Amino acid sequence: MAGSNEVNLNESRSVVPLNTWVLISNFKLAYNLLRRADGTFNRELAEFLDRKVPSNSIPVHGVWSFDHVDQRIPGLFYRLYLQDSHQRGCAGATVIPDMDKPLSTTDIVPVIIFFHGGSFSHSSANSAIYDTFCRRLVNVSNSVVVSVNYRRSPEHRFPCAYEDGWTALEWVRSRKWLRSGRSESESESKVYVYMAGDSSGGNIVHHVAVRAAEEGIEVLGNILLHPLFGGEKRTESEIRLDGKYFVKLQDRDWYWRAFLPEGEDRDHPACNPFGPRGRSLKGLTSFPKTLVCVAGLDLLQDWQLAYANSLSSFSHHVNLLYLKDATIGFYFLPNNDHFSSLMDQINNFVNPNC
Amino acid sequence: MDELLAVVGYKVRSSDMAEVAQKLEQLEEAMGNARDGISQLSNDTVHFNPADISNWLETMINNLDRAFEDSSSSDYDLKAIAGKAIYTTAARVKPSPAESSSSTRPLVLVDSQENGIRLVHTLMACAEAVHQNNLSLAEALVKQIGFLAVSQVGAMRKVATYFAEALARRIYGLYPENPIHHSFSDMLQIHFYETCPYLKFAHFTANQAILEAFQGKNRVHVIDFSMNQGMQWPALMQALALRPGGPPAFRLTGIGPPAADNSDHLQEVGWKLAQLAETIHVEFEYRGFVANSLADLDASMLELRPSETEAVAVNSVFELHKLLARPGAVEKVLSVVRQIRPEIVTVVEQEANHNGPGFLDRFTESLHYYSTMFDSLEGSVNSQDKVMSEVYLGKQICNVVACEGVDRVERHETLGQWRTRFGSAGFTPVHLGSNAFKQASMLLALFAGGDGYRVEENNGCLMLGWHTRPLIATSAWQLATKSVVAH
Repeated sequence: MAGSNEVNLNESRSVVPLNTWVLISNFKLAYNLLRRADGTFNRELAEFLDRKVPSNSIPVHGVWSFDHVDQRIPGLFYRLYLQDSHQRGCAGATVIPDMDKPLSTTDIVPVIIFFHGGSFSHSSANSAIYDTFCRRLVNVSNSVVVSVNYRRSPEHRFPCAYEDGWTALEWVRSRKWLRSGRSESESESKVYVYMAGDSSGGNIVHHVAVRAAEEGIEVLGNILLHPLFGGEKRTESEIRLDGKYFVKLQDRDWYWRAFLPEGEDRDHPACNPFGPRGRSLKGLTSFPKTLVCVAGLDLLQDWQLAYANSLSSFSHHVNLLYLKDATIGFYFLPNNDHFSSLMDQINNFVNPNC
Repeated sequence: MDELLAVVGYKVRSSDMAEVAQKLEQLEEAMGNARDGISQLSNDTVHFNPADISNWLETMINNLDRAFEDSSSSDYDLKAIAGKAIYTTAARVKPSPAESSSSTRPLVLVDSQENGIRLVHTLMACAEAVHQNNLSLAEALVKQIGFLAVSQVGAMRKVATYFAEALARRIYGLYPENPIHHSFSDMLQIHFYETCPYLKFAHFTANQAILEAFQGKNRVHVIDFSMNQGMQWPALMQALALRPGGPPAFRLTGIGPPAADNSDHLQEVGWKLAQLAETIHVEFEYRGFVANSLADLDASMLELRPSETEAVAVNSVFELHKLLARPGAVEKVLSVVRQIRPEIVTVVEQEANHNGPGFLDRFTESLHYYSTMFDSLEGSVNSQDKVMSEVYLGKQICNVVACEGVDRVERHETLGQWRTRFGSAGFTPVHLGSNAFKQASMLLALFAGGDGYRVEENNGCLMLGWHTRPLIATSAWQLATKSVVAH
């Protein structure tokens, strides 16, 4: 047992920068403490260990943030990140966003609704890793980012996270001050909505987008960053990469048991949207174009690649970014080429005319 | 420090990175080997300061090794060990680097507030006019605020009204009546204590740290800089009474300002506590000490006994910031505290910078802060308590906005600023752990309308906030020369 661990640890250490390895390994071990064998979760210890940061209406590197609380749902809030050039933060006399004006009357400003990862159980919109990521995302893509603090499992199982995603989408679309584009023609001034998410966040993006397409609500694009999908079958990549790069299959299973309705298996459509219990999206013409980023050392890649293929087969537009030597979480620190590749792709995806 | 890790909340020196990586591997192996290891680390171990990955890993490795060695030991042994772990291993006691000087201004809005944006803009415009000494414009805007506020509901209306009143006082030079009778301000504080968890959290977390520091001591002495009605002490006394092995002898020195009516209110509080002590069989000694300012104190006045016989804790809840109104005062008080040679110093302060040099910044900061404070009160059930709490906070608002010089005593500063101050004065942190965090979180559940309260861990300190905005911070300190090798 100890011998094989040694091999595994050395392998992952050779493919990521040391500080990235420390960060992700630290999460891995901390998360081991939080999952209990009986399916419960040590939430108090999780909150104690999570590094959080408050919002900041004073711009830092040109980006400021504020939180909007939805008091109808416990814990639901959105953290909005804006560039100083679009909406003045506290550097001037403006204290809070000017909600009478759109973001721009000349340019299009993409608004990206972001769902953080954590396998549906970990992290928050105000976790430092995600606050930092969202700030970088704003500057790279000159967008507004709305990070959603959705309800987590096992306390709140399927479909709570999807419902919160839907609530966020409706809220964002109805904010006059998130509109952009030329305002001469009323029809062109609107909120230019994209959705993005990593891990479980990517899964949420998919499901909210399906509902949006069904209900005729416009979403301009989906960005799925090593999204969480799975199924009862064990794929080749799951077997080959189990335990090798920070992730064990049995842990993945735990999170699905914690998220899915009790008694359900991984072929539930939330987990396996195009599996035996899934449905075709053929003909759902308003389903948005999708950017799928797959990390080549992620044991879930077979599911993610199958997802991208399925979307193509339904005649939907898919961009696939396959990063051969990337592990999960490569984007938390900007110290590698994978990070820049991803950011370039995202920028081009949400600013297609630039 | 590795900058990329620092930005995501972890403090690791670049030169230590390889060593930390090794510890991670070591811990993973230990977790794999110890059969019950993981649940024990999760349930029994008290965790401290997760930002310091190296020490956090060290603690867990040690806990696992120990359990692996004597796997027959019962749960009770493990709990006893956890208490000492508040002192970091001596070799690693390095003063934490000074907090970055860039300020942050958290902003939390709730649903209803989008309508109140215009009101906030008008308040800011008025503050700016005052700042530029354009008093006729300021006057006009104050009137407009009053008009706009009426059409608002809830917290926004009340906050706007208090800030408008404070601005008006500043414009017309009508400073608040002072001193207010202590009995009135004490009463306001009692209502505040009942309405919302801030004071209870402050007392609870401070008491937790004091209890841990007093472990194994037979005679203990608490010096309370913030005596007021002594609401903090019954809980501590009860916890001491229940200590396995029996309670220590408990001495309390309560310090407070003179009463306007010359009554000996500090003595009255002492009598009540003495009665409690008798019913719970705790040997109790009390002295009330009247002082206009903490800076008037000298160690010699406090009748200190040799530290071998008596362990001392110094406690200050929402008091230290008042010293910042006079130059040199806080430095003097901290040097007196050093002379006291306490086991621990517990400090609770508002988590805000209301002491910046510029009026406009102070106004903006306090507007954000008190808006969130008032929002958090909205859910409370008892309307009389709520009103009194609002008056209590309203007086603070008035002081921050309308007063200057020695009259402006509500000079709140952030945890980062206090850390620097304590560090320079020769103190090192004593960390509050996951046990205190968990119990503080449970305390919040007792407050009706309490959905929004959150406890956060911040580099060994605990903060209580509303949703994502920390509002008060509890920290604990020891003399720098006093760090002990743990384990």
